[in-house]
Amino acid sequence: MIYQQVINGLMLGASYSLVAIGYTLIFGVLGLLYFAHGEVFMVGAFVGLYLVLYAGANIYVALLGATIACAMLGVMSVYVAVRPVAKDRPLAPLISTIGLTIVLQNLAVYTFGGQQVGFPETIRQQLFTFGPITISSVQLFILGVAVLLMVSLWLFIERTRIGRAIRATAENHETAALLGVDVNKVVLVTFAIGSGIAGIAGVLDGVKNSGISPFMGVAVAVKGLIVMLLGGLGNVPGAMVAGLMLGMIEILSAAYIGTTERDLFSFLILILILLYKPTGLFGTRTAEER
Amino acid sequence: MFDGLFDGYTRSILIFAGINVIAAYSFFAPFKTGQVSLGQAGFMAVGAYASAILTQKFGVHFALAMLFGGVIAGIVGFLVGFPALRIRGIYLLLLTLGFGEIIQVIALSWDYVGGAQGFRQIPFNPRTLDYVVGVILILIIFFARLERSSLGRAMDSIHQDEMAAEVMGIDVVRTKLFAFALGALIAGLAGGLYAHQATYMDSTTFNIMLAVEILMFVVVGGSSTYWGPVLGALFLTLLPEFLRTLREWLELLPVSWTNFFPTKQAYDFLHEFLDFENAKRLIVYGLVLIVMMIVRPDGILTRDGLRRFTWPKKASPQGKPRHV
Repeated sequence: MIYQQVINGLMLGASYSLVAIGYTLIFGVLGLLYFAHGEVFMVGAFVGLYLVLYAGANIYVALLGATIACAMLGVMSVYVAVRPVAKDRPLAPLISTIGLTIVLQNLAVYTFGGQQVGFPETIRQQLFTFGPITISSVQLFILGVAVLLMVSLWLFIERTRIGRAIRATAENHETAALLGVDVNKVVLVTFAIGSGIAGIAGVLDGVKNSGISPFMGVAVAVKGLIVMLLGGLGNVPGAMVAGLMLGMIEILSAAYIGTTERDLFSFLILILILLYKPTGLFGTRTAEER
Repeated sequence: MFDGLFDGYTRSILIFAGINVIAAYSFFAPFKTGQVSLGQAGFMAVGAYASAILTQKFGVHFALAMLFGGVIAGIVGFLVGFPALRIRGIYLLLLTLGFGEIIQVIALSWDYVGGAQGFRQIPFNPRTLDYVVGVILILIIFFARLERSSLGRAMDSIHQDEMAAEVMGIDVVRTKLFAFALGALIAGLAGGLYAHQATYMDSTTFNIMLAVEILMFVVVGGSSTYWGPVLGALFLTLLPEFLRTLREWLELLPVSWTNFFPTKQAYDFLHEFLDFENAKRLIVYGLVLIVMMIVRPDGILTRDGLRRFTWPKKASPQGKPRHV
């Protein structure tokens, strides 16, 4: 029983991690709370669904298509709602990205209708048993994709030139620019990567819950914020670990305490972290020190 | 007071617009000291549930229950304000967001107030419009007086530079706590008014999107002047209603104008285009927000902009305009 719940927690946590990675990348580079990220997640799910339904694509093509579409959406959102807005007023970009959130959500309602849409079965259901744990092929696939993504992203950030540029920009905008980093390009790349990952998370969520709706983004966006804070603002590995932790905490508290209290725990954790360890669990600098 | 002046639909639109104005002031008060709160929907919920319990279960008079709801929300705000003192910026935003979500979970799991079924059969207050207008007038006068008082100036200086304000001898802790609790109290009043107009609410009524909307009212209206919340709340609440009427205006065109070749097609296209059902209306709303923040990041009204209209002309103040 407990093993089963741990698997469920990991599944939930994987999607939190994937969304929070985008948040934390974007916050790191821009110091900006980018509200529309949950809707990018939702758009990814719908792109995946339509590729499967109308283009007859298999799950890999759907994942790839959603990634590309969401990366483009992320880049577009920089041009529409981030770059034209004054940077020296912290609330202005917040509001403009909220505006983008509202536009995206209601475009989805307008196009796809406000109901939940079923996600077709794209992976053949099969059960594997490892000792006490039973895991389905769908769960195995989702966990596999999530782990693969996180590892490759970590390598990308740590080992490549552009990854180093992203880290440098997150450290300090001006210094990075002085040292020859094209900060504008880094911002675009960051949005593309973060949004692409959110798109993949959206498709995986559709596969897992076998249903998606235009309103699925809001809850994920809020949870993604908590995970970002838990892992430390701008800390990518932190976001990965914190996402898995939060998923685990939610599933275990739902299983052993009660389903209505499940959200209570995540928000209590949020508040405790804010008050006693604003640097996150892994000791990143706080926003004020930046 | 306004009996027979409006039909029922207009009346309810005006009431909800007015409640939004009050909610916008509830954000404005802590924001005057630089505290950005996404918890105002939560404080509204506290006020709404507290007052509805009094009227529905104990038969208390509406005005008394509303005041009580406001006071309870104010006390809760005072308690939340203490930890909120320690943090600022994005951390405060997330803290207040967490508070709002916790209030929602409590409303969902507390069976005394309906739990998941929602709070039903709250008595309807036929005089809500009078109450709303009264509260708004009091708030406008209060904030107008506050702007010129030493307390108001202390709040402004904390907003601009907390350290400098402290050095100048302003009691930063007390002022910020007062502003936060005051905001919560105003939100509680708005919640009490809402409950007895809508007569039904559940845990999702006062959700994060409402909190975000309240923030938008102030930022879009202009956060440097006390007229900003009024304008922002009215503008953003009435904009969707205005879009709804566009089509009716189009239909007023005489048929003889619109039944031959080019105009008929244009008419049909416009008629189709102006069919603003919910999603389309909200798309326009979101676009307006983005454009507003590009064109006027300080909001529609700013203190310096308003000064141009004051008479007699005052000497323009030194220094840069206050950025928010």
